[in-house]
Amino acid sequence: MTTTRTQPRVVPPVATASPAIAVHNLTVSYLERPVLRSVTMEVERGQLVGIIGPNGAGKSTLLKAVLGLIDIDSGMARIYGEPISQARNRVAYVPQTSAVDWDFPVTVRDVVLMGRYGRLGWVRRPSRADRTATSESLERVGMTDFADRHIRQLSGGQQQRVFLARALCQQADVMLLDEPFAGVDAATERAIFDLFHKLTAERCTLLVVNHDLGVLEKFDRLLLLNQRVIAYGPAHEVATEANIQRTYGGRLSLLDRAENALREAT
Amino acid sequence: MIVTLAQIDFRPEFWLYPLTDQHMLMGTLTSVLVGMTCGVLGCFVVLRRMALIGDALSHAVLPGVVIAFLVTKDTGIVGLLFGALLAGLATAVLINLVSHHSRTKEDSAIGIVFTALFALGLVLISNLPRGTHFDLKCFVFGIPEAVGLSDLILMAVISMIVLTTVAMLYHPMKLISFDPVVAAAMGLPVLASHYLLMGMISATVVAGLKTTGVVLVVAMVITPASAAYQLCNRFSSMLVLAGVFGALSALVGMVLAYVVNVPSGPSMVLVATAIFGMAMLLSPKHGVVFRRIRRWRHRQHIEEEDVIKAIHKLAEERIDAAPAAIAGQSRLAVERVLRVLRGLRHNRLIANSGDGVALTESGERRAIELVRAHRLWESYLADRANVPAADVHEQAEVLEHAHELADEVDETLGHPGVDPHGTPIPAQKQP
Repeated sequence: MTTTRTQPRVVPPVATASPAIAVHNLTVSYLERPVLRSVTMEVERGQLVGIIGPNGAGKSTLLKAVLGLIDIDSGMARIYGEPISQARNRVAYVPQTSAVDWDFPVTVRDVVLMGRYGRLGWVRRPSRADRTATSESLERVGMTDFADRHIRQLSGGQQQRVFLARALCQQADVMLLDEPFAGVDAATERAIFDLFHKLTAERCTLLVVNHDLGVLEKFDRLLLLNQRVIAYGPAHEVATEANIQRTYGGRLSLLDRAENALREAT
Repeated sequence: MIVTLAQIDFRPEFWLYPLTDQHMLMGTLTSVLVGMTCGVLGCFVVLRRMALIGDALSHAVLPGVVIAFLVTKDTGIVGLLFGALLAGLATAVLINLVSHHSRTKEDSAIGIVFTALFALGLVLISNLPRGTHFDLKCFVFGIPEAVGLSDLILMAVISMIVLTTVAMLYHPMKLISFDPVVAAAMGLPVLASHYLLMGMISATVVAGLKTTGVVLVVAMVITPASAAYQLCNRFSSMLVLAGVFGALSALVGMVLAYVVNVPSGPSMVLVATAIFGMAMLLSPKHGVVFRRIRRWRHRQHIEEEDVIKAIHKLAEERIDAAPAAIAGQSRLAVERVLRVLRGLRHNRLIANSGDGVALTESGERRAIELVRAHRLWESYLADRANVPAADVHEQAEVLEHAHELADEVDETLGHPGVDPHGTPIPAQKQP
């Protein structure tokens, strides 16, 4: 897919090995207030990366910017060196479970099957292959027994697993997950991490927004984010007391204060 | 004037008049089509929480209709439809602009835009050249008697287009309604589908104006779909049921309006509301009626078990299990006990014996199961929940009814032989 292209690439990558996710100097603001400032990071294929930061740090915004769901002020995001519009089928997104109405009249199987809709497009109907993929995904997250239940009957952990199954069903090789551990008990959390490690072993790349500071060592790499990148690197190197203090400390850096002053002056 | 019951004509041909008279039939059929189409589209409106938008669209089409009237110089339906469609889309776009480019939240943006457009429509009407006839009252309240063949044909075409579109785009529209962000992440045209929906609603609403009028047409969009929402676990069944409810509301509403001699728009809306009320009461999962029945059954079940235990206890103490003695033991009123005993006798859990009753073999099994559950729960409360020994009995009286869990409790406690009072716990029942 990446061999013949007419448009010039904006990022000049090494043709053989574009990173799975590349974010370069990304700045996003909401109602003129900056949410992300000059974020740059690259994720190699097959890595499990955690995004850690306080509320309002821009974690979800970063995922949405990579997905091309929000306007960005400057910078860029690439999936395997391509803009997101060229790579939709390679990326699966798992939103926060609070983002949807769990009274919506659909069964668990219906929701998981929705993972195939991106490939089906506007008018094609799900085929037998799509239904098989749905059953396999349900099996992988251990929700087969719940397939024909209405979604309102699910616990928090089961909701997360249904969303994961929908993402698996997309058969994407990049997955962006927003708080997949929210409302999940310890056993399910372990099961989800096991699944993540199996997926990375299959060369799938995962970018996970996470709230819980107790599981940091389970990620390959960590991005400590508070509007800016506070630190990014291998989990054991980055997850230091000092870095976490800086991420959650809430004190404005000189850089932030300078930017604020400049903004107010204009 | 509303007629009294005595004045109503009960001859079937009178009731069927809205279906047999050629002119009335056109109004009835058009209303049924409007009801069905509104019902189906209403599912999207209800699930996406856009009820206010439905209201907005129906009001905001007024200036579009007036301008079309000014341009074409008549109330030809095609011109009006065109004007309404443009006004509907303009509403959707304006709402989007206001809510995205200001601090205003979407619900306020909707309120601002549709009232402004409706006001604009009223101003335009007041400035119509003298002698032109634009019946605002018809627009606001609807007059199905004025429905002609061209309206019927137009509505038939619109419903066909809407239903085909919904059937073709069923899957993507389901995802976009359920989870628009993920749909956008997959590259589905979320915004286009939003405008498509707005367009379809505007077209249906304007075609429905003559039957229900601008104020009430939103009820045909929201109410049947909300009724279906109470009853369905699948999106497809909700669409079908909402369509049926919409059509039914229109049909029954038209007939009743004729029979009782009231305006048909309000009559249709009231029928739809009645259907919604029944769905609310009768919904198997959330309905008030079924919840009452479930609670009543549960209470009955508990009373039954209390009586079985009382008989068992009396038998152990060699006292005749007469109703009065059972009532004393189980703390139930005598007449309740008598009623429960009838049920137990019917299920062959008890039989008459001497002056009172005695448990049959299966009744005895139930009793032992309950005693076992009671004592196991007592042990559990004392051991694991730090409940003082004096209080365990009271709490176990409630917990024993959860006897399905007794085996698990037994397992957890490591098969205790006696309860906290030192009484033996019966062994697990033999299969």
